[in-house]
Amino acid sequence: MLKPHIGDSVLRHEDARFLTGRGTYVDDITLPNQAFAAVLRSPHAHARINGIDASAALAISGVLLVVTGEDWLKQGFGPIPTKSAVNKKRDGSPLNEPPRHCLAIGKARHVGEAVALVVAESHAAALNALDAIDVDYEALPAVTDARKALEPGALLVWDDIPGNFCLDFELGDKAATEASLKASDHVVELDVVNNRVTAVPIEPRGAIASYDAKTDCYTLYNATQNVHANRDTFAEKVLHVPKEKIHHIAPDVGGGFGVKNGVYPEPALLMYASRKLGRPVKWINTRSESFVSDSHGRNQMSKVRLGINKDGKFQALYTETIGDLGAFCWTVGPFTPTGGSARTQGGPYAFKAMYYCSKAAFTNTMPMDPYRGAGRPEASFQIERIVECAARKLGFDPVELRRKNLIPPTSLPLKTAMGLDVDCGDFPQVFERTLALSDRAGYAKRVEESRRKGWLRGFAIAPYMECTGGGPKEFAGVRFQKDGSVELAVGSQSTGMGHETSMPQILAARLGIDFESIKYRQGDTEATPLGGGHGGSRNLELGGNAVHQAASEVIEKGRKLAAHQFDTDEAKVQFEDGHFFVPGTNQTMTMREAIEASFDPSKLPEGMAPGGLDANTTYERGVISIPNGCHAAEVEVGPETGVVRMVGYWVVDDFGTIINPLLCDGQVMGGTAQGIGQALLEVAHYDPESGQMVTGSLTDYALPRADTMPPMTIEYYEGAPTKKNPLGVKGAGEAGCCGAPPAVVNAVLDALKDYGVTHIDMPLTPEKVWRAIRAAR
Amino acid sequence: MPRISLTVNGKPVAHEVEARTLLVQYLRETLKLTGTHVGCDTSQCGACVVHVDGRAVKSCTMLAVQADGARVTTIEGLAPAGKLHPMQQAFHENHGLQCGFCTPGMVMASVALVQGNPDPTDAQVRHGLEGNLCRCTGYQNIVKAVLAGAKAMRT
Repeated sequence: MLKPHIGDSVLRHEDARFLTGRGTYVDDITLPNQAFAAVLRSPHAHARINGIDASAALAISGVLLVVTGEDWLKQGFGPIPTKSAVNKKRDGSPLNEPPRHCLAIGKARHVGEAVALVVAESHAAALNALDAIDVDYEALPAVTDARKALEPGALLVWDDIPGNFCLDFELGDKAATEASLKASDHVVELDVVNNRVTAVPIEPRGAIASYDAKTDCYTLYNATQNVHANRDTFAEKVLHVPKEKIHHIAPDVGGGFGVKNGVYPEPALLMYASRKLGRPVKWINTRSESFVSDSHGRNQMSKVRLGINKDGKFQALYTETIGDLGAFCWTVGPFTPTGGSARTQGGPYAFKAMYYCSKAAFTNTMPMDPYRGAGRPEASFQIERIVECAARKLGFDPVELRRKNLIPPTSLPLKTAMGLDVDCGDFPQVFERTLALSDRAGYAKRVEESRRKGWLRGFAIAPYMECTGGGPKEFAGVRFQKDGSVELAVGSQSTGMGHETSMPQILAARLGIDFESIKYRQGDTEATPLGGGHGGSRNLELGGNAVHQAASEVIEKGRKLAAHQFDTDEAKVQFEDGHFFVPGTNQTMTMREAIEASFDPSKLPEGMAPGGLDANTTYERGVISIPNGCHAAEVEVGPETGVVRMVGYWVVDDFGTIINPLLCDGQVMGGTAQGIGQALLEVAHYDPESGQMVTGSLTDYALPRADTMPPMTIEYYEGAPTKKNPLGVKGAGEAGCCGAPPAVVNAVLDALKDYGVTHIDMPLTPEKVWRAIRAAR
Repeated sequence: MPRISLTVNGKPVAHEVEARTLLVQYLRETLKLTGTHVGCDTSQCGACVVHVDGRAVKSCTMLAVQADGARVTTIEGLAPAGKLHPMQQAFHENHGLQCGFCTPGMVMASVALVQGNPDPTDAQVRHGLEGNLCRCTGYQNIVKAVLAGAKAMRT
């Protein structure tokens, strides 16, 4: 019997199966009579497809089906539309959206684009067939850099989209910002590149589609983060079937980080193939394919201008960004360099005026979609780099300069110049606590110790302020069973975050029932009528509050039932600590007793059916919440090698109410690791001549390893639970990616300050750091 | 097709396999032991680590025929049914896993690491796990779990 509270570090329920090899990921599912699919992907960044001859492939024993783009169009299937919340240009006209079909039509526009689908009796036969398909490609020159793509005369990714231009965007008061810059004592300017990266969840994408001719329904098992939204698109936009005809199930999903949120072509292809062949069809992406067919993230090129006065007070911030979209508008790709990056401009600092504008361009590269943070890490990196740059150029102490400009708690609540509702928090206290944890007093000694070993030591602090996002509604269903168990179904979805623990923890804490009695369901369009899946650090804010709301409804119904049992007025019945009671009497009833009574018709009040305590509820968000915090990093840099070693790391986060500190720590550590990866190691690099992704394997694309990571200290500031939602939570999943890149990069530049190195673009690989040192010497 | 006989999780097994079959394919597809995962195609990620004659091996990098006559242990056979090995228990108690996909390989690599070095330092654990990638945890709690698991294995 485990009766947890909010704030307890409850150990995870899901661990038992994951630790013993009993997890069920999509590749672990085998359906009777299943066939195997493989995808033929474009080897060219840009090529005309003059013809596809599949006859040799179809002649191979065991090959069942080859589907080409022409076959696909003949079926009348539709393209996958973008659902970017920003979908108009500044002039009000719709964004330029090229058709994104599930297979290349006429031309391939990036390496890895799906050109044909093969289905065979065995995986090996499908692979053999891929090699036997003869595609008549006519290779064309490619453009892989969004800045070049927007230049006059650039070659076109889409013939009918002039200038490779998708849309432009602005937010803030341009005139006021320009005036404020003009009036500032100094204007500091910096070009900031946010490197193209990709999420690399360790489980590759994969799916199994099974069509049942009797019911004319599809069952789709898919390694996705978002079963409802993706089902709707497959049904309504691509296959043109009623959405009720697709049962979409995400089994255990091995990491997502945004990359499994979007709508991909392969599941739709599998559903068609399954219907055509009358048998289930399975496909699992290889890692090599994942690098060129999973969405990429970031890749923004920005010019940042900061107006600052002699006293060090920030005045104005003006940011111009070019965002790369890749070859298509992916599911919500155009939102990231526009609205997604604009909202949290300026971070936790006070500004008189801010202005953000951007342009998004098409290139012959894998399209972009949200990756952990989707715009907020970019904004955080921009402000923290320009602040560090200003401190260096104008002779301010970087810590003092930040301290001087943090929004004080007395200014809250406020609406930022970007329109963001900052309701509560204490940025100065979080900042000072981070500094204190990082032992500034002992720093000089540590610098000396490093020096004696031949290493340069650097320190940086990076306060951040971000926001939540994702679907604004969430469903929670609480269904009591006669055997004493409770089914809790929520439409948000874990890809590793531990919802199977945190969500039942909230329910058990509210109702005072046994945590172990709760059976959790997620990632299944038949478990909940709606669901927002995972994205935008939304689960506790949406899913958690939906569970909270469902629990409140259960309690209300329970009070009715208890009043009937106590033979008293409902208004007199209170609920606390798992008990219904009437104050001043000895009448009491536990929630468990109320649940049991709810199945006994003789004990029910009028109008309540057996099992009548069930609750099915939809929680809707009012205003997005504002997670914030501060990261500090210490690094050592080898002056002869350019190697960066992470040697100290401190984080203080304000996520409002902390439901489960153990799981929250996991989010902070994981997000920070991805941020450190982006800062030091990772880049999805395209060769500008060939358009090939040259970091397209785990041999070339460097992920953080255990020895990349420093010792970390994490604390939470819990003095400001938000009133924007009943639980007071602010969202925790993406914060690490906001704080870590600027903390790490600025710490490395601090270590190199005696060489006069002021800027290196991420990732700060040994080669780049070494070259910067050599160039400065 | 060659015929192989080996012991997997204490049980003798024998099958005819295509010569090109990888050990991981044999475990997952023939024996239906799906706890061993495949996360890459270049032997980098380590999700497929199993023990072959007591040594940690990336089972995507070994042919099934090379395991003929060997004693193989997978994550399913690390502890008796219904029980956890001290390393599995340590991963649970220290939140050393999130999505769980890298976990079987990570646990198997950790057990072998500790069997070779019963009292490793933090740095030795980090170095010892460089062949295993995790994208969720940032490794902090994995390292903590391995140190706790090592302590539990010593006592």
